[in-house]
Order: sequence, then structure tokens, then C-alpha cells
Amino acid sequence: MNFRSAEYLVQEAFTGIKRNGVMAYASISTIALSLAVLGAFVLAALGANNFAASQIKRFQIAVFMTRDASYEDATKLSEKISGINGVGVVEIRSRDKEWAEFKRKHPNIESAGLPLNVLPYGLDVKITNPERITIIASSIRQMNKVDGVLEGRKTAMRVMAVAKVVRAVSTIGVLLLLITTAFIISNAIRLTLYARRREIRIMQLVGATDQFIRIPLVIEGIVFGVTGAIVAWLLLRAGSIYMGHTARKILTMLGHVSSNVAPLDLAIGLVLTGGLIGAAGSLLSIRRFLRDE
Amino acid sequence: MIHLENVSVEYPSGVRALNGVSLTVCKGDFAFIVGATGSGKSTLLKLLYRDVTPTDGTVVVEGDDVTMLKPSAVPYLRRKLGIVFQDFKLLPEKNVWENMAFTLRAIGAHPRDIRKRIAEVLELVALTHRCDAFPHHMSGGEQQRAAIARAIINHPTVLVADEPTGNLDPDTSWEIMQLLDRINVRGTTTLVATHDAHMVDRMKKRVIQIEAGYIVRDENRGGYQNCEL
Repeated sequence: MNFRSAEYLVQEAFTGIKRNGVMAYASISTIALSLAVLGAFVLAALGANNFAASQIKRFQIAVFMTRDASYEDATKLSEKISGINGVGVVEIRSRDKEWAEFKRKHPNIESAGLPLNVLPYGLDVKITNPERITIIASSIRQMNKVDGVLEGRKTAMRVMAVAKVVRAVSTIGVLLLLITTAFIISNAIRLTLYARRREIRIMQLVGATDQFIRIPLVIEGIVFGVTGAIVAWLLLRAGSIYMGHTARKILTMLGHVSSNVAPLDLAIGLVLTGGLIGAAGSLLSIRRFLRDE
Repeated sequence: MIHLENVSVEYPSGVRALNGVSLTVCKGDFAFIVGATGSGKSTLLKLLYRDVTPTDGTVVVEGDDVTMLKPSAVPYLRRKLGIVFQDFKLLPEKNVWENMAFTLRAIGAHPRDIRKRIAEVLELVALTHRCDAFPHHMSGGEQQRAAIARAIINHPTVLVADEPTGNLDPDTSWEIMQLLDRINVRGTTTLVATHDAHMVDRMKKRVIQIEAGYIVRDENRGGYQNCEL
């Protein structure tokens, strides 16, 4: 195909869209709404996954040392624990702060005969791999000058199970919705082509090759998909700004739930999805019409 | 030249449209194909542009065995033929000029040639003044003239017309027949399937009569009815 033909076929695609305005509007609005629903679900799923992941990252093991342990012992223990697989940051808790807090909760403690800080040194061990929490806790328990370990295993397991369910549900949901969206979009394009089946038939009768018929219609499908994606992006942006304000007003926690998807990335994702589904939907539908005739 | 040898067509529904039809139409001939509805006239024409493939027999158009063509070669066969239909089959979203340009674009003609050829053909069918009109803004006669213009724009060697006057009044029908005759005189083999007895009688051309899928009469300078009956 030479440049002249390519130019004509692109021109044909845009003329076709202009002259089939009602069908074009129907297709683009269907694609926009489908992609907006898909996009909203993907963003919600990512937000839920990020939230679950952030909860998991908050898990830590509290280590209590024996009363005779010194600051040097705490430092040595901290270094030793840092070397365990699955351990993130290890912090030595400030005894002064803990004592101040203890006294705040129990104001009569000094008059009851406990005027000095008797609290042992303690460590906060952040976990990078919550599945190893029990193993890490057992290892720490066996270490020198460790009096006790609080691992919060049950809570960790529960949150991890919830996170797994959230991940599985959102992945399956996104896949199902993607299939449904692809079906709706290709169906919308098929309806547009169905309205033009007589045109396709005439093109065949005047000796147009299948490729000559197909190219403008595939370009139309891509234009529908991309335009629908841009509309969907605008809807999602407006929706996320509104929802963000409302969520922050209702619940502080929800304000921190974020999909972490930049608006530009969202736009690129939607445009690629819309364009690809538009092209694939057109190709499959045209193939059927060309074969049927 | 068109040559059909012992051609039979049976549709998937089981209907036998043609039964062992043999026929030769020489270059430059003008022939009417007549017969009752469902007799097989349209099927015979569809065989020529490979809209239907025969169950048996061979169909040769301008030296090509149409039955042996690969699907990808069918558009190139159709470019050798001009096809005219009762319902005009103009592209509804394109005006007269664009309908013609589309056909030429499809075969890769240069824009300069396209302009020249459209102007020539529109003059021949007396539609120059309607080149910007869309099909739904035109009368039946104008639409059929536009369809004929599109059919001959590619200088086809064979013109096939299936009931070209079926939707037209007698005066317009006569204009269309005269136009087809003028095209034939320029050397284009012309085959016209019709019910229009008056027109067939008036034109005095070759008449091929089909009944129930059989050719029952092939008469030069014949009339719609068999003179011997």
C-alpha cells in the first residue's frame, strides 16, 4: 500500500465516523462507560491491595530484655536480630519515654515506692516478611538476655489472610471485568459495523479487497476506543477528586487509601486498553461480516 | 467472452436454482435473460461475479475459470465486470462523485485519473450536475444512472445488470435501457436480467429464457414471449 492509499483510507475512516454520527456516539459512550467502570474497579482494587499491604508492613515483634541487660547488650542484640532473614528495621525503645508513659498511666507509682526507672530495655523489630514472623520470634527467644517476645502472630495471620483474599478477589474481579468490557466494546463496534453491513457488501461487489475494506473500519474502531478511553479518564479524574474530598470528610483512614496510580499512567493505561480492544473488536467483527457476505 | 458449461447450482437449503446450463456470450453481445421470479436469472448472473459458486460445471469469464478462483482473487475478477442492481446499491453515506471515486480508489487509480474518468462517465450518464448529491436525495432514475456510471467507470469488458429497471417507471426504464445500449455499442458485453416484457420487445436483442433452472430459449433479436408459442 502506498502513501496515497494510506492517506485515503485514514480519510475514509474519519469521514465514516462523521457521517455515522449517531452510531459513533453510541459506540463511544458505551466504550467510555465500560472503561470508566473497569478503571474505577482497578483503582479500587489497587487501593484495597495497597491498604492491605500497608497493614502487613506495620507488623512488628516486641522484644523485652532481662532486667540486667545494659544499653550495650541491647545494641548487640539489635545487630544480631537485624541479621535474621525477614527482619527490617530494629529499634531500641527509649526507656525514659516508656517510663514517662508508664508514670502518666499510673500517677501514684512514685508514692507507691517505685521512684526509679525499673523498666528493662526493649526492642521493636519490624518485619519485612510476615510469613516468617513465628520463625523470627522463636530465633529471638533463644538469644541471650531476652526475657520475652510478643509477636502478635494471630493478628498478623488474620490480616495476611484478609490481604490474600483482597488480592485474589480483586485480581479475579479485574479479569472478569476486563473480559466483560472487551465483550461490551466489541459488541458496540459490531453493532456499528452491522449498521454498515450493506456498505461492506457494496464495497465487495465493486471489487474492493478485504484489506481495503478492513483498514478504515479498524481505524474507526481504534478512534472509538481511544476517544472512549479519554472520556473515561475524565470521568475517573472527576470522580476521584470528588471521592477523595468526601472520603476524607467521612473517615480519616480512607483518606490514606490510595491506588498510587498517577493520572498520566491511568490515561496511558486506558488509552492503550481502549485502542487495543477497539482494534481487536473491529478486526473480529469485520472478519465475520466479510466471511458472511 | 462468457462461457458456462453444464452448470448446476444447488443452494444449501436444497433449492436447485440451475440445472446443467450451458451458454456462450461472445464479446460485445447484448443479451436479455428473462424468466419468471425464481427461475434462476439472478443466480446465473451471480455466477459471473462469483457471488455464487456452482455445484457442478465451469464458468469462464474473460478467460478466467471463475469456479477455480481463490477468494483473494475475487475482487480482481469483479474489477473486470460492471455490476448494476435493481436496488442500485450505492454507498449511502457517499455522494455520486465519492461513490465513483471509491471504486477507482479501490483499484489504486491516481487522483488525477480519478477526476478525469469521473467527469467523462458522469457526462455519459448525464449526471454531471448531480455529482454532489447523496443517493437519498436522488430519484430512482438518477440513482440507477449513478449506479451504471459506477459500474462502467473502470471500463469493464462485461456489464451485468440484474433487473436494472425493476424500480423505475416506463419512461425512465427506457432511458436506462438506451444508456445500457450505448455502453454496449462502445464494445462492452452486456447481460441484462429483466421482467420488463415491453422493454425486451422494444430493444430486439438476444433473449435467453430460463424456466425452473433450465434454458428453454436462446433467440437472437427475440421478444419477451416465445414467438413460436
